[in-house]
Amino acid sequence: MTAPVLSVRNLKVEFPTRRGILTAIDDISFDIGPGEVLGVVGESGAGKSITGTAVIGLIEPPGRIAGGEVLLRGSRIDNLPQEQMRKIRGKRIGMVFQDPLTSLNPLYRIGEHLIETIRTHSTLSESAARKKALSLLEEVGIPAPDTRIDNYPHQFSGGMRQRVVLALALAAEPELVIADEPTTALDVSVQAQIIALLKRLCAQHGAAVMLITHDMGVIAETADRVAVMYAGRIAEIGPVRDVIKSPLHPYTKGLMGSIPSLTGESDRLVQIPGSMPRLTAIPSGCRFHPRCPRAFVPCPTFRPELQPEAKSEVACWLYHPFPVQAEAV
Amino acid sequence: MTAVLDAPAPAETKNALVEVRNLGRIFDVSKPWLNRVTERLPRRLLTAAAEVTFSIDKRETFALVGESGSGKSTVAKMVVGLIAPTTGEVIIDGVSMSNPKHDADRRRLRRRIQMVFQDPYASLNPRWRALDIVAEPIRAFGIAQSDAETAKQVGDLLKLVGLDPADGAKYPHEFSGGQRQRIAIARALACNPEFIVCDEPTSALDVSVQAQILNLMRDLQDRLGLTYLFISHNLAVVRHMANRIGVMYLGRLVEVAPAREMFRAPKHPYTRMLLDAVPDLDLTGRKRKPVEGEVPNPIDPPPGCPFHPRCPFANARCRVELPLPIKAGAATVRCHAVEEGRI
Repeated sequence: MTAPVLSVRNLKVEFPTRRGILTAIDDISFDIGPGEVLGVVGESGAGKSITGTAVIGLIEPPGRIAGGEVLLRGSRIDNLPQEQMRKIRGKRIGMVFQDPLTSLNPLYRIGEHLIETIRTHSTLSESAARKKALSLLEEVGIPAPDTRIDNYPHQFSGGMRQRVVLALALAAEPELVIADEPTTALDVSVQAQIIALLKRLCAQHGAAVMLITHDMGVIAETADRVAVMYAGRIAEIGPVRDVIKSPLHPYTKGLMGSIPSLTGESDRLVQIPGSMPRLTAIPSGCRFHPRCPRAFVPCPTFRPELQPEAKSEVACWLYHPFPVQAEAV
Repeated sequence: MTAVLDAPAPAETKNALVEVRNLGRIFDVSKPWLNRVTERLPRRLLTAAAEVTFSIDKRETFALVGESGSGKSTVAKMVVGLIAPTTGEVIIDGVSMSNPKHDADRRRLRRRIQMVFQDPYASLNPRWRALDIVAEPIRAFGIAQSDAETAKQVGDLLKLVGLDPADGAKYPHEFSGGQRQRIAIARALACNPEFIVCDEPTSALDVSVQAQILNLMRDLQDRLGLTYLFISHNLAVVRHMANRIGVMYLGRLVEVAPAREMFRAPKHPYTRMLLDAVPDLDLTGRKRKPVEGEVPNPIDPPPGCPFHPRCPFANARCRVELPLPIKAGAATVRCHAVEEGRI
């Protein structure tokens, strides 16, 4: 197996508050291989965006990485000084955020954004950088790039802005692109265009992608593997087809059943009772056990870890021998 | 255009609770008068909805789908009377919502129409307790005789939507998004309405919570015999909820069809494109047709059929002549290509 582009090992992110320490992400590990698209899916509060921000070292203080490590091509990046981390962001890790209007500076022309990014991470001259910016805009499908390059962000539509943001993320030929809900603010027809574009560009540039979204449909269309997050932990991770077609974890099963589909019978949707726990009241043992229809003896007490099952890995006692002491409880 | 009035009249079924006839709304988005005079700018008018005609039977769910800017929320607001239509009228149970002769009837009608909004964080007053929020319509319409009766009704309503009556003492911020939407639904049900307009009721919610709310809405419809006008951009949700569907594009209804029919055999090229753009969860490996372009600016819509710049079937006629609604099977479609049998 080739060395992974990104390796996250036992990552833990905490937010100290007046009422004690909140653990937003608790001990998660995953890899992304070269050219691979890893989907990270979960509902609000699952910790998927925090995972993305932790990888690029942008956790807002007082939040902090409390344990574990993040490795980019085998070398740790989570303990680098800010100055070095800044050189990695944009250059080796590209970023695409949800709202294209807030990730572009309204006072700068599109071309200035691109040229600034290109020149920060390379030694190109102003005119060479402009030429590269033009070819990037053309690549992401902006019509008439030579006139559009001098426009301001407000002169672009939502879909066109997200294309510009994609061009920006790819400007320095990064090894890894972190896309946090890149299509959530867009209409379906435009969403389909952006997904196709993201997929094509990353394949062409050989970039690995961490695609964070709440939309299983987007994951199904784009990702190679998918990690399902619940309350700061990974519940299940595996090839996208297996996770969607034959989910293992009861949470994934519930999640898949609750999505209305375009085919099949439109009967009642599967309903997971309750809602995602707040960070102040994380249940003990398996975090899903209070809502789980199949919870049994070990679940309230012992925390399940990800273990291989079929082609995936799943953190659930249904699939693994549970600790012997549990029977005594 | 005189063609406007040729829209087929809604089927005069006895069961139609809501009839929307030729509804249209134009917003004036011009700059202020002085700017217009000094800068010599013309008036700018935005046609948010035009020639919208449909009817909703009792106990039926009619859905309006479309992308942002298609005018679906504008139609919803006109139907409940939050904004006045520029043209056309809304008739609910035989009472015109704009005819001054029907003023007295209309006041009685108000109680029977309610609305549920998209964002449960914005639609509940943060300074009111949940029970006051739910009690407001009961008090406003004088439904209960005493405070004790009001309290009892509020408790029943909270139970009906799956909340604990004791939760009524809490403020909105103490609830999750899904619970807030339940409170919004309880408030809408407080005056025993027959007709509820739901504007993107689950778009701000997570999928598992969305499933809870959609199931709740269907259960309530069965139990209370409600009629819904359901607005959504999510075709899968609409398929799950609606009996009939209207697809809007740039303020016009381009296709109205029974839900099954529309998903089995979409007629209008825009409906086909929308269905094609939905991400495929079944991993069938279905090849997508490349979707092109974006919704044009409604201030300056294209001439002829508003969809022609993005339509793969457009011809010269589409570019100049606005298509009129025609019957195609169980559907009503505005498309020259369908009319001419080209697709």
